Amino acid sequence: MISIAVDTMGGDHGPADFVDAVAAASINLNVEFLLVGHERTLTALLSEREHNPERIAVYHAPDAVGQYEDAGRAVAAKPDASIAIAARLVREGLAQTLVTAGNPRAILLTADRSFARIAGVGNVALASVFPTETRRGEKEDPFSLILDTGAAPRATAHDLVAYAVMGGAYASVVSRNLRPRVGLLSNGTEEEAELTPEIREASAALREHPGVHYIGPIDAMDIPRGTADIVVCSGFTGSIATKLLEGVHETVLSLARYAYKERAMKRAALVMLQGGVSQLKQLTDWEQYGGAPILGFEYPIIRAHGRSHARALHNAIKIAAKVAGSDLIARIRTGLAACPPDAGDGASS
Amino acid sequence: MSIRRVYRWDLDKTYLRTDFDSALGLLRAAFEGAQSKQNVPGTAGLLRELRRAGSASEVNRIYFISGSPRQMRPVIEQKLRIDGVQWDGLVLKPNIENMLRGRLRAVKEQIGYKLPVLLESRGGIEPPSPEILFGDDAEWDAFIYSLYGDLIAGRVEGVDLERTLQLARVYPDARARILRALHMVPPFDAVRRIFINLDRRTPPTHLAPYGRRVVPIYNYFQAALVLGETGELTPEAVIRVALEMIRKHEYEVEQLSNSYQELLRRRTISGAIGEALAVALRDFQTPPGMPSAEEVLFSFQRRVRAIAHSGRMAPPEDEPIDYPTLFVREQRRHHEAKARRKAPSLFE
Repeated sequence: MISIAVDTMGGDHGPADFVDAVAAASINLNVEFLLVGHERTLTALLSEREHNPERIAVYHAPDAVGQYEDAGRAVAAKPDASIAIAARLVREGLAQTLVTAGNPRAILLTADRSFARIAGVGNVALASVFPTETRRGEKEDPFSLILDTGAAPRATAHDLVAYAVMGGAYASVVSRNLRPRVGLLSNGTEEEAELTPEIREASAALREHPGVHYIGPIDAMDIPRGTADIVVCSGFTGSIATKLLEGVHETVLSLARYAYKERAMKRAALVMLQGGVSQLKQLTDWEQYGGAPILGFEYPIIRAHGRSHARALHNAIKIAAKVAGSDLIARIRTGLAACPPDAGDGASS
Repeated sequence: MSIRRVYRWDLDKTYLRTDFDSALGLLRAAFEGAQSKQNVPGTAGLLRELRRAGSASEVNRIYFISGSPRQMRPVIEQKLRIDGVQWDGLVLKPNIENMLRGRLRAVKEQIGYKLPVLLESRGGIEPPSPEILFGDDAEWDAFIYSLYGDLIAGRVEGVDLERTLQLARVYPDARARILRALHMVPPFDAVRRIFINLDRRTPPTHLAPYGRRVVPIYNYFQAALVLGETGELTPEAVIRVALEMIRKHEYEVEQLSNSYQELLRRRTISGAIGEALAVALRDFQTPPGMPSAEEVLFSFQRRVRAIAHSGRMAPPEDEPIDYPTLFVREQRRHHEAKARRKAPSLFE
């Protein structure tokens, strides 16, 4: 049976939402869940919910790293924090993957202490999903994967190529998109002189890579359009891009809410547009995607948003189950081994 | 020969995996042969072990009481024989008689059927024989068994019994039978445990008002563990129940060790049975193709260690049960559970 370690203490809303998600998943999925958190709290919460305890083991964690704590200090001071114990369970082979909604920096630091990196990976990548106009893969997923979105601010050409390989492998497993289109986030030009050296070098390497369906440099407007299934960039750029996209989305929704409250005419107009608005809401509803991976370690990690409620966490768990039962790491290894020998081996950092 | 223990079992959803939530399921249950009937995993093994736990001078009695119609007797008896289960009594519901008399409510209603049967059966048993009862969460087993236990222990006031039977709309003749049978039973606090198989995954806290005598279980390995800890079964017998679940029902060691941990976490067992199992497993020869004793021990010990430092909490003290109030609460709970089963899930 596949086992997934679930850090229940990481999210903004406490363990109840995690327990809701795991309780439902324990009935629907043939997966064992190693719930890491405060045992008495978890037992009390489970006892109030329909669940299948044959598929749940609780691992007591006396500590947790707060969402806004200084990650470096907290990880060092709390060796028995829930994220550390969850990572230990994965390292010891008791679980194949880990789901958390915790402090991203603490997750990365803990993972770095606990797991080796896949051979050929320099920087690991924190991925995010973003809803797009177009759908992709056998599962018709309406989102693209952006990586890196903040694990490492800088990326060498070699890192960018590795991100493309890892993102492609992930899309092939999760979206069953066997030939995902990969774009390098840039200013959209094909003019070599206008590209940064890293992107120029990575672009050349990706064109040569037999396992990557590279469509060239793309610009930020292509992200919501869904031109690429995998958007590759440095952590610095990715962090700015995703925050900008999230901000725009939130502003649009709050403007709509404001309009609804402010004027009867606008309210009437919004009611008429209800179908479209709800479609837009559904499209941009991040809860349906649940989580995104941290790629580059020998074990995959699925990170849910800190604000996640039960539905998003349940979806993150479903993704983790899919990843845990797959050959994702082997696919990444194969992809990295197929990189051209001079695929930007760090010279341009 | 005296009676050491009386074990009373419900059939559907307690011993047999019966689907009576759909018309198709009901039809299938009515017409399928003994060979096609499926056990709830572990039940056959557990019943054999319970029977075997008696001695030459003290026997363990096994009685079945079921809401299935009397016409099913041959099939059920054949099924019990196939499973190697020995029994001392099997009471089935006179559904055709109820229908012919126009007592349609009695076809579904359980309190007016099971309570007099239990009391009448108790009347024929020597007072010091303790009872352990097995039911499920699909209907009213926890309520009926608890009421039965408290009635024979003399803990229920007549006025509360009357009010409860009224609320349950028990037919007057069944009420009279209950009162008559109750007068024939010498008072004795006989009911030690009531195991409720959580077929519908009712959250255990929903059964908390019944007190610690009612033990919600998710599978029969959990029942065997509790019975092992209280000395009803030997550790070897508990292991044999587990092996049956692995061999016949494809249980994995992890599922069993998680079940063990769940009982520890709920403070249903103290862990003494785990230690006894560890000792017994050292000398136990697991059959070929089964997980090794070391593998089993490792899995169990890992789950015990996982919660070793979480601190112990004393289980809450039991309160006397106010049956009329509990009846109303249970009725509401059953309605809500039914509505929940029909409602789309948040996670779909």
